[in-house]
Amino acid sequence: MSETEPVTNGTERPAETTAGETDERTREAWREYEFAGETKLAVEDLDVYYGDDHALKRVSMDIPEESVTALVGPSGCGKSTFLRCLNRMNDRIGTARIDGSVELDGQEVYQDGVDLVELRKQVGMVFQAPNPFPKSIRDNITYGPRQHGDIDTGLLARLTGRDDSEAADRLVERALRQAALWDEVEDRLDDNAMGLSGGQQQRLCLARCLAVDPEVILMDEPASALDPIATAKIEDLVEELAEEYTVVVVTHNMQQAARISDQTAVFLTGGELVEYDDTGKIFEDPESQRVEDYVSGKFG
Amino acid sequence: MAGAAESTVVREDTSTYEAVAGLTVGLAAILFFLGLAATVDIVSVTGTLAGLGTLTALGLLLVVMGLAVVAFGLASYRGIFPTDPRASAGLVAATLFSGLWFLVGALVGSETLGLGFGGGLAVGLLVGAVGFAATALPREDIGSTLPAGALAVLFGLVFLLGVVGPEWSWSPASFPDSQSVTFFARTIAPFAVILSALVVGWAAAKAYGGFGARGRHLGAYLLVYLNAIAIIAVLVALVAFVVVKGFAPVTESVTVGLGVGPATTIALFGFSYEVVWPVNWPFLMNGASLFTDVTGVFPAIVGTAWLVVGAVLLAVPLGVGAAIFLTEYAEQGRFTRVVEVATNALWSTPSIVFGLFGAAFLVPRFTPQPQKSLLAGMITLGFMLLPLVVITSREAMIAVPDEYRDASAALGVSKWQTIRSVVVPAAMPGVVTGVILGVGRIAGETAPLLLTMGGGSFVGAGQRAKVLDSFQLSLSPPFVTNPELTQATTALPYQLYQVVLTGTGETAGVTDITAFGWGTALVLLAVVLLFYAVGIATRQYFRSKLTYE
Repeated sequence: MSETEPVTNGTERPAETTAGETDERTREAWREYEFAGETKLAVEDLDVYYGDDHALKRVSMDIPEESVTALVGPSGCGKSTFLRCLNRMNDRIGTARIDGSVELDGQEVYQDGVDLVELRKQVGMVFQAPNPFPKSIRDNITYGPRQHGDIDTGLLARLTGRDDSEAADRLVERALRQAALWDEVEDRLDDNAMGLSGGQQQRLCLARCLAVDPEVILMDEPASALDPIATAKIEDLVEELAEEYTVVVVTHNMQQAARISDQTAVFLTGGELVEYDDTGKIFEDPESQRVEDYVSGKFG
Repeated sequence: MAGAAESTVVREDTSTYEAVAGLTVGLAAILFFLGLAATVDIVSVTGTLAGLGTLTALGLLLVVMGLAVVAFGLASYRGIFPTDPRASAGLVAATLFSGLWFLVGALVGSETLGLGFGGGLAVGLLVGAVGFAATALPREDIGSTLPAGALAVLFGLVFLLGVVGPEWSWSPASFPDSQSVTFFARTIAPFAVILSALVVGWAAAKAYGGFGARGRHLGAYLLVYLNAIAIIAVLVALVAFVVVKGFAPVTESVTVGLGVGPATTIALFGFSYEVVWPVNWPFLMNGASLFTDVTGVFPAIVGTAWLVVGAVLLAVPLGVGAAIFLTEYAEQGRFTRVVEVATNALWSTPSIVFGLFGAAFLVPRFTPQPQKSLLAGMITLGFMLLPLVVITSREAMIAVPDEYRDASAALGVSKWQTIRSVVVPAAMPGVVTGVILGVGRIAGETAPLLLTMGGGSFVGAGQRAKVLDSFQLSLSPPFVTNPELTQATTALPYQLYQVVLTGTGETAGVTDITAFGWGTALVLLAVVLLFYAVGIATRQYFRSKLTYE
């Protein structure tokens, strides 16, 4: 790789000199690098340890709003760990220790006094394997709002005239339409969600997440358990959702990242963020030799 | 050979051979069931079967089948039928056959030939060694058929020639006179028939499969299959026995028609309403009374029902709560492991220990004078049920996928709300299964009730535990009282024990004690099955909410 690299977006960035080693200057340059939109999530010097295992090493990146950010990399590179830091799901793992800063709209997520309920309402998540609750389709969608007390359709509410059934129906329809599932399940909302196909279940999980009105949607390999047709539907949805939401997608699949994302972050073994840039740039002309090797399929 | 490649996949036409071998396997199965039936006197050893004496007929069948099996082996060995035998029947079969033949030889040597212990042992060892050699040394087709067939023929001849006749009995001299033991033909013969049917059926199944891997598979299949059937047959026989014996006493003088039944006053908190039952079922509706012809078990049914209800109401909330804490909140470590071991130990604690605990700590607690009471019985049985509820609820909650918990947490839902609305509903079928199993056990408990609840095994129908009727409101604390709970009462298993063993039946005017006992047993069985049915319906309800159909 040559010493001088072409300029992107008007920001000059020094090249990586040796493959396999992230230059400190490169890292600094990315941090200053501005994407088109406003920054939604600002991550700075994030370190994650699972016991003695240093799973994520000093990762810094700004995620712009209303766009799709793809996180790619081989298994065990820390991309899912990174994703789970954004809504503090890693708190649920007892051995995890997290250093650094994640700011959502300029507010620090890792500080005392953060309301996890509010944070996770704003930063929703869709998991790798479809995990609808063994309840009816309707109950799956209204689960979040009901538990948060935003919607009450219980017996007591109905008896005391505080019934939100109509609001619930509107919410169910809105969320299912957003997840492009409404037409398929419209007439069986009270059937158990376990009767849906894998792809439908995954879209239901997305609808369940949308029902609590998040601003950011985190997706952890949302299509890896699905067939190509269901995958295509999820990909279309992701692109549509990016008009309104900030979407962060972890994926194994290079083509998928290239198809759907606006910017791509490449994590390589050892929990390092090696390169983060516009998707086009990453796939056509990455700075790092390792990234080029990885995205072109030479390893990983 | 042009057909060589083909013949390894498509077996050559063996229809005649397979038909005969299959018939032999079928006969062995029939013989097995006849033996099974003879053990419980459904087929009488002293009676007749198909026009012959039972033992003669069974002996004839055994000889025919034994010879057939040997014939299969020989035919296979001579290559008359295409089979695929291995070099030997194997060490396991050889060891089993040498053991069988050792027993046969030792018994014949010491008893029939009168050679005493040493002689019997010598003959047994010799015959056992021959049996081992005959199984292990020749090719598989001979090794697995000859010892089996010979055993069947020997047993068959013993029955056929009347060496062991219907009236035969054997009192081994080695037992001292004061502890003498006698084996009768009706005890021994069915087991001999079952044993030889299994052995000869196994050999015939192997022959049917053409020996080799397929033969071994079929042989093992037959044994496992007959074993499973035998276990189910034992269960069916047990229930059938109780039903047959108990049916007559339970249904004595049942009449159906408007107004024939007893009048019941249903009273709750002071309101009362009289109902006249359209059926009169004395055994179920009567207690002990001078004015009735039929002494019934009504108070005991009521007692058992209240016991189970009370124990379940106590154990389920406590047990599920403990399981939630252990699974969802407690850090998995030494503490939870200790609790787990303790719970398991508590479940296997003998019930009499629980009874003693109840007698020492519960009986003196509720009344001025220590008094056995329904409440003490309920709490004691509740404690017995508790560990099982904890164990099964824990397992059910551990089995709830973590994905549900993740999904709920990612929606910002708190841990307790997740437990309440996702984990517990998903675990509910498992919890109910545990309660079903536990109720089966506590409903039949006798020992703890002797110590904590039982008083007077025969009481009048009017003296049943009127728990519902006796709720009373008052203006002073505790506002709701129920004196019935602190009274001693009776329950089905307790009453069964009292009637059969302590002779309280005579004083209550029961004419046929044994029949009354069987009747009580039948009612107890029905009550437990009723609880099962309720439990299974409940489980089905919770399960249907979790799955798509």
